[in-house]
Amino acid sequence: MDNTQISILILDDEPIVTKRLKPSLQKKGYLVETFTKSIDAINRFKEKPFDIVITDLKMEGMDGMEFLTQVKEMRPETEVIVITGFATMDTAKESFQKGVLDFLAKPFKLSEIHEAVAKAEKKILDQKE
Amino acid sequence: MKNKLYLYLKELNKKLSIRQKINFAILFEATIIAAISIFIFLTVRTLLSKVKFVEQFDNINIYFLEMRKAEKNYFLYHDINSLIEAYNKGKFVAGELNKNRKVLIHILTKKIYNTLNYTLNNYLTTLQKIKRSPKDKKYTSSLREYGHKLTDLSIHLIKRERKKINKIIHHVTLMILMSLFGIFLAHMLTWRYFSYVLTKKLIKMKKMTNEVAQGRFHEVSLIQSKIKDNVQDEVGIVITAISKMAKELEKREEQLLQAKKLVSLGVLISGVAHELGNPLNNISMLSEGFLTYYDSLSDEEKKKFMQDIQEQADRIKKIVRNLLDFSRQKKPELKVCKLEEVIEKSLALVENQLKISNIKVHKNFPSSLPNVQIDEDQIQQVLVNLYTNAMQAMSKGGDLFIDVFTSDTKNNIIIKVRDTGIGINPETLPHIFDPFFTTKGTKGTGLGLSVSYGIIRQHNGKISVESEQEKGTTFTIELPVYQENKEE
Ligand SMILES: Nc1ncnc2c1ncn2[C@@H]1O[C@H](COP(=O)(O)OP(=O)(O)O)[C@@H](O)[C@H]1O
Ligand SMILES: [Mg+2]
Repeated sequence: MDNTQISILILDDEPIVTKRLKPSLQKKGYLVETFTKSIDAINRFKEKPFDIVITDLKMEGMDGMEFLTQVKEMRPETEVIVITGFATMDTAKESFQKGVLDFLAKPFKLSEIHEAVAKAEKKILDQKE
Repeated sequence: MKNKLYLYLKELNKKLSIRQKINFAILFEATIIAAISIFIFLTVRTLLSKVKFVEQFDNINIYFLEMRKAEKNYFLYHDINSLIEAYNKGKFVAGELNKNRKVLIHILTKKIYNTLNYTLNNYLTTLQKIKRSPKDKKYTSSLREYGHKLTDLSIHLIKRERKKINKIIHHVTLMILMSLFGIFLAHMLTWRYFSYVLTKKLIKMKKMTNEVAQGRFHEVSLIQSKIKDNVQDEVGIVITAISKMAKELEKREEQLLQAKKLVSLGVLISGVAHELGNPLNNISMLSEGFLTYYDSLSDEEKKKFMQDIQEQADRIKKIVRNLLDFSRQKKPELKVCKLEEVIEKSLALVENQLKISNIKVHKNFPSSLPNVQIDEDQIQQVLVNLYTNAMQAMSKGGDLFIDVFTSDTKNNIIIKVRDTGIGINPETLPHIFDPFFTTKGTKGTGLGLSVSYGIIRQHNGKISVESEQEKGTTFTIELPVYQENKEE
């Protein structure tokens, strides 16, 4: 595994989202893994710490908010990007308080995701130096 | 005439407050007790005067007896002193008789008094005559006669008065006992009357408050207008107050409902945004990918993209349709009908799906059920929602029980829809009637139960749920029985 390669975990219960995001980010040179169930994602995160997490907020089973809270607790340096079908002021505030880097509302353009990921990558690299 | 009095009393009965009635009853009882007391007082007074008289007369009698003893002594020993003693005693009695003349006449009557006085005077004059000529035997016999008459008369009088006293005592005791009994009876009757009046009204009040508690404000608020020409006592006032309160509550409830609608509109909008956001995002991503890779895509892949887009559009369509159902929460168009027929019709709608899902239906209706007044379409929609949920909870097949029966109070019909499915987690149970709450992810809308809840509520009914995980779920619907003549 290349040490310089940035790893991304994507969690969304909509398969189309994960299916579309994965190749477009892989093409940009990231290491991408996708999940549609938060329980699988959290288990995987415990095995392997990811640099960036992209998650939906409202899902079946574990709530996205709970997932990102656990991620931030386990590994605070992981950058989290939230994508959500509907954001209220409260959920946005709560996410930022938990240390979320970016907050994207659905529907979004792939370019917006790329921008957010690039921003996260820059922050990670800055911190490494 | 009698009729007029009755009507007057009836009118009075309505006009008087309970307090006035109680005051009236107390006054009435007090008057009776006062009358009885006065009567007893008077009787006891006569009794006392009689006793006093007897005492006095006893004294007189003793003097008489002593007088006669002295008389006898004189005849035995011819002692002039005995004669004087007899005379003095007699004179004393004469003085007493004179002193108490008025009282004695009153008790003995004038005739007897006069006889007594006359005989005593004769006796005394005879004594004087004997004193003057002691040898004259003529006087001795007449003296004896007079003396005899006097003692006889006085003993007779005492006996007579004693008898009278006994009679009066007897009467008074009887009187007192009877009046006590009478007072007790009157008291019991008034007490019974008031407790009857009060309990009757309290029961009515209890009924009203019960209705208020059950949220049937409208019926209770109507009582107010009915009571106008009715009894206006304290309880009547309270009943009017409760009725007014119900009217206010009804108003408030409407306002609250309006407010709740606004809140649920907010929930609805955020829910819709989320629900629609996902498929919209999917379409956006698919079309973006489609455009980006258009040149490199095979025909097959292009078709797949379009199919996926179509699927997402269908998803939006489904949400919008459910949303329309939800927003179409119109007032139910009520018609009197047989519930068992409505249930049969609703079952027919899902018969095929039930068969495919390998679910066995167990119906249990009594032979005759009272009618209900419902919007048939809406109730069918509710039932189909419940069947659909049950089917989804029993993906591996199972049993669907539908029990219908009348409540113990005979006021409600109860429908129980029970499945043997996966059950509901106790933590999710409180949320299942919320709009957009679903555990089925993209397959559910979370509107079925919320819509059903609204419909049943509009029918003045209740819907509730009990569930045990891995065992099954029971939904209970309560609908009011149609009352033909809704007058009371
Ligand atoms: N019979 C049932 N058994 C188990 N769970 C049920 C049943 N009925 C309803 N539920 C639960 O209540 C939720 C809400 O139901 P509903 O309002 O009909 O929405 P939907 O069926 O679209 O999810 C369901 O997602 C499910 O979790
Ligand atoms: Mg449903």
